[in-house]
This record gives sequence, structure tokens and C-alpha cells, in this order.
Amino acid sequence: MSEEMNLIGAINHTLRQELSRDPAVRLVGYDIGPVGGMFRATEGLYDDFGDERVIDTPLTENGIMGMAVGMALAGERPVLEMQFLGFMYNAWGQFIYNCANLFQKTGGMLKVPLTIRAVFGGGIKPLPFHSESTEAWFMHTPGIRVVCPSTPREAKGLLSAAIRSDDPVIVLEHAKLYRAFREPVPTEDCVLPLDKCRRVQEGRDVTVLTWGNMVHTSVEAARLVDASIEIIDLRSLAPLDVEPMLESVRKTGRCVVVHEARRTAGPGAELVALINEYALQWLKAPVKRVTAFDVAFPENQTEEVYLPGVPRVKAAFEAVLAYEF
Amino acid sequence: MGQKKWREARPREDYLRILNPDGSVNGAVPQVADEELLRWYRAFIETRLLETLGLRLQRRGVLSVAGTSLGEEACGLGAAAALRPGDWLHPSYRQTSALLYWGVPVDRMMASLLGHAPEHIAQHLPIPPDLAPKVRLTPYPIFLGANVPLATGVAFADKLNNRPNVSLVFIGEGATSEGDFHDGLGLAGVLKLPCVVVVQNNQWSISVPSSRQTAAETFAQKAVAHGLPSHRVDGNDVFAVYAAVQEAVDRARRGEGASVVEAVTYRMMDHNSADSASIYRTDEEVEYWKSLDPLDRFERYLVARGLLDDALKQQVRDEAEPQLRAAISRARAVPPTPPESMFLNHLNGDPGWTFRHQQRECAVELAGGNPFVDFTGEGL
Repeated sequence: MSEEMNLIGAINHTLRQELSRDPAVRLVGYDIGPVGGMFRATEGLYDDFGDERVIDTPLTENGIMGMAVGMALAGERPVLEMQFLGFMYNAWGQFIYNCANLFQKTGGMLKVPLTIRAVFGGGIKPLPFHSESTEAWFMHTPGIRVVCPSTPREAKGLLSAAIRSDDPVIVLEHAKLYRAFREPVPTEDCVLPLDKCRRVQEGRDVTVLTWGNMVHTSVEAARLVDASIEIIDLRSLAPLDVEPMLESVRKTGRCVVVHEARRTAGPGAELVALINEYALQWLKAPVKRVTAFDVAFPENQTEEVYLPGVPRVKAAFEAVLAYEF
Repeated sequence: MGQKKWREARPREDYLRILNPDGSVNGAVPQVADEELLRWYRAFIETRLLETLGLRLQRRGVLSVAGTSLGEEACGLGAAAALRPGDWLHPSYRQTSALLYWGVPVDRMMASLLGHAPEHIAQHLPIPPDLAPKVRLTPYPIFLGANVPLATGVAFADKLNNRPNVSLVFIGEGATSEGDFHDGLGLAGVLKLPCVVVVQNNQWSISVPSSRQTAAETFAQKAVAHGLPSHRVDGNDVFAVYAAVQEAVDRARRGEGASVVEAVTYRMMDHNSADSASIYRTDEEVEYWKSLDPLDRFERYLVARGLLDDALKQQVRDEAEPQLRAAISRARAVPPTPPESMFLNHLNGDPGWTFRHQQRECAVELAGGNPFVDFTGEGL
């Protein structure tokens, strides 16, 4: 059985299903109660599950991060909503000292089955610090998993898996994808692996490594070039599912990394380094990174030039296709 | 080295004090069985002995760093004694007395100070289930404020499941300047959590005096803005600490919410073996606090009550010291932690390709091979 859902609908449906399935699942955050979340991810859940399952908290990202970790240590499976990824800077202390650290520091004696949902990414012209793409910082932090769904079905599978995982898992939900399109989402249990990438389309000439909203930008750009483009949606940013990516690059000999994060020391830097170390001899062109620029996220009028768009991605495809050693 | 020292004001002494420095008492002494008082005494003595042995090991180069809680032992002890099995204890690094009171194994504590990995310690120094501490513990964070939000979460889980447990968390007065302290107190207040926060005010955060942490008159006052009750007690008086924390614990267990207890004490020694307190504070100040020693007055009280005499004092030491030395020997006999153990317990399940690859690189390096020769990702 499946139902047509958009991504925010799939999140709401999954949270409802997980709350029903396991009494240890508790949603924690601010503006998640009666109002149902800034994007309505938790709409109706406060009414149906009550204030001990859908818990509106004071406005303290650091406090609720630490509290959710404590709840997780004591047998709960909290799902913490960081309203926007840019608000998580305030929670950095608790995130590093407790969330990411405790399982490793205690040699596995304390587990932290915590899911952190955060809205990330640009393109909806909101207020400052509502469009951040700082996934590289999380990839640089040992002891956590980071996933990023790019479609409603993916959202259900990855969020369900995150909630059932015994590790801290960050689920990055792209704001622009929430209501972008609908697709059939299974209404029964649907749990995807947390550490596997997904081939969106098969191709022979260029491999694209991307995630989130940039999956869709890349698909569109691929239609505009006269070449066969293979697109891989990373889905899991930590840990990286390296082998399928290397395999694809060995096949195509060309690679473009597309992400919304800033370029320097961004996720693409790690991906290019892996290709350099383990697939250099198969390359027909240098690997290019299509990214945002190394500036603070700009004002709304400028965001479309700051973020990678279809023309920029297409230009990168053309450049690597034309390159000759 | 600078010439100027801090001139630290003596803290106000209008706090709860039951046991005077001369061993006499003010008002009602908490109802504590004689046998329990002797348990406290043993934990006191064990703490001093163990920390002295630890310092010696540091001076001999066995431990890279060691600290003590000399002069502050009543805070951890009095507070921990108010807990019961099933409760949570979130210590900082200055509650050795609380850990010993609850029977945390000394060999494991020492193995941890020796730098062994937790998995390795668990393997080589197993705890028989019946000897495991009956309170639940979290490791101390280096940033002491970080424990407060964590403690609220544990307390919240207990409350949501109607488990009658209390979560006791220790921080220093310096950490009350951290946002974490207020983040946690805010949550504990609004959600009415069964949580007790002990601010062990030992006057010094390494070299910065308590007067440099807040312009408020006391640290207990910081609870007011969060709608929480607070007590301010003589932290060198084990009865005052116990009475205040017991009241707070009882309140929390009744479902009436969290409290803060400021225990006013003094750090007699350097912050740890990497510090030199003589650079920034005066000898006179330390001398004054010596006259308020928490063990001296507790001993005087026990002697006056007829519960302790010179023979028993000697007996307690004679029993404790060989046990502590034996525990230290067991810790020192643990074979070196295999470096590969750093890769254990990183994530549940498969930690991923890059992780496994690095693990393999490390193994090749340790075996004397060259870890850089994989150019295809196919492995070493």
C-alpha cells in the first residue's frame, strides 16, 4: 500500500507511525506542540499523542540537545527537532561533549539512540541563519550518522531507520523539498539502510555525487547536456558509502560533486580526496566541485547566484566532458 | 611569573552550618544511624588516602596528571549519602568521596587515570554484578556545566516513566557562568524535574576567584530566576550538605521538582598537578581554610559521640590503605591498551568504508608495513 505524499507529509506520517509503534519515541523541541512545527512536520501529533510524547520545550537549543541525550541514556528514543540547522550553533557544546561523545567515551556502555531532525538548505528566501548547509562539520565529527533524504519516500525510509538506530543520527531535511513534489510513499513499515547511497540514474560519461535538493538540480542539468550522466544521491554523509562512488567514477572517468555547502573544506573536498587517492588512474578529467561560494549565506536577492543552479551544474558537466589531458 | 595575586574575599558564612569547626553542633543533627556515620568516615579516609597515593604516582611519572578534592570531601560525601539505589549520580572530578561512598571500583578509576580505554578496562577489571555500584553514573565531562542538561534528560526519562529516581549533578561555581547551567536549570524548572544540582563552590576556577564569576551575592541566588528553591550550606560540614541535599532529594522524589544547593568550600590544593596555586593566591587564605577542615570537625564530632577513638581511627586506615594499594596494583597490572581499541565502539554496526580503511592502515603501520600503498581502494 502506498499514498501520494510530499516530503513534509512523509515526515509527519513517519513520526506518527513511529510514535504509535514504540512508546519510547518522544518528540522534543520548541514550536512542535499545538502549532505543529514551523513547517507543520508535527501537525496533529500533539492532539493525538499528548504533551508527554510531543514535548514543547523552552527556547534553548543547547539545553534540549543535552536533555535529549540524557533521555536517550535512560531508555527513551527522543526525536529532537532543531528548527533550522543554523540554530544548532547554540547546541554545539552539548552536541560534541555529550551527544557525539558518550558512546565512544564509555566504550559502548552508554548508548545514545537520538534522532536530530534539522531543516537545512537554501532557496526559500527566509531570514538569516535559516538556510545553512554545514553538513561538513557533522561529517568531521566522529560518533554520529548523518543522512539526507531527497524525496518523500526516502524521507520515510531514512527517518524510520534513524529513529530505530542506537546511534545519534542527524536527518537533514531540505526546506525547498518539503512541498516540492509528491510521490507514492509506502504506508506500511519502510526502513532504508542508513549507510547506503542510491543511484538516481545510470550513465556512462560523468558521475555526479550529490544529495538533498541538488539531486534534483543535477537531474535537470543532466537533461540539458548531450551526454550520459550517472547521478548518485549520497543519502548518507556519515559514514560515506565509498565503494559504489569509486566504482561509478572508474566507469565514467569523470566526476562532478554538487553541493550547497561552501566549497573550502566542504564535503566535496573529502569526496575529491577519496577519488584522488583511490581512482586517479581512471580519470579522464579533473574532478570539479559545483558549490556555494566561501561567503556567508547572502541576502535573499542574491541567494540564487550563491547557490548552485542548473546552469552552473550544466557548465561543469560541459567542462569535464570537453577536457583532454 | 607575575607578582600580583588575587585578593579573594572570604565568602559570607550566613549559611546552614550544623557541625562547627570545633566539632560541636548547632541545632538538630540529621538522623543518621551510627553505622552509616562510620561508613561516611571510611569514605572520607579512603578519599584522602587514595588521592594522596594518586598524587605520589603523578610525581613518580606514573600518572600524567592528578588532582585532589582535599578539603572538599564533605560536599560529595554528604550529597551522595542522600541518594538511594536506582538514583543517578553525575559527578565532576572533585567528588571522589561520592564515588567511594557508592563503591565505584578503585582499580577501574585508577586504570582510567592511567589512560586505558574503557573497553580494555572492562575486559581486564570486570565487576561482579553484585559489586556494581547501585547508583547509575555518567562519566564526568571536562566542561562541568555540560552535565546539567544531561542530568535533566535522565531525570525527565525517570519522571515520564513514573520511576521514583532522582538525578544528582555536581558542578563548580565557575561552571555556573556557562550557558549549560542555565539551560539545564530552565528545563528543570519548567518541566519540574526530579533533579538536584549541587554547586560545589570551592572559591577557585583554576586561577580565577569566585568573585570574578558573578556579581550576585551568592551562587545559590542563580536558582531564583529559574523559579527553583535553593539552599546555601557550609560545604565543609557534612551534616549541612547532607541535610540540604536530603531535603532537595525528598522534594524531587515527591514530584515537586528540582533544587539547587550551593556548598561553600575551598580548594586546598592546586587545581591539579599541572597548576601552581601559589602564583595567584595567598598562603594566609589557605591557612584560614585549614582551620575549617571538614574531616577534622567530623572526627571531633564522632569522638565526642563515642563512636570513634584512636584505635578505630588507626583500624580504619589500616584496613583502607592495603585495599587501595591492592586496587592500584591491579590497575597497574593491566596490560597496555592495544592501540587498535581506539576504533572500537565508534558506531553501532558497520562504521563505514573510510573508517574500516583507516583501521586497516593503522594495523599495517603497527605491523611495520607501509599504509599508503593502496591506490585503488581495494585494500591493503
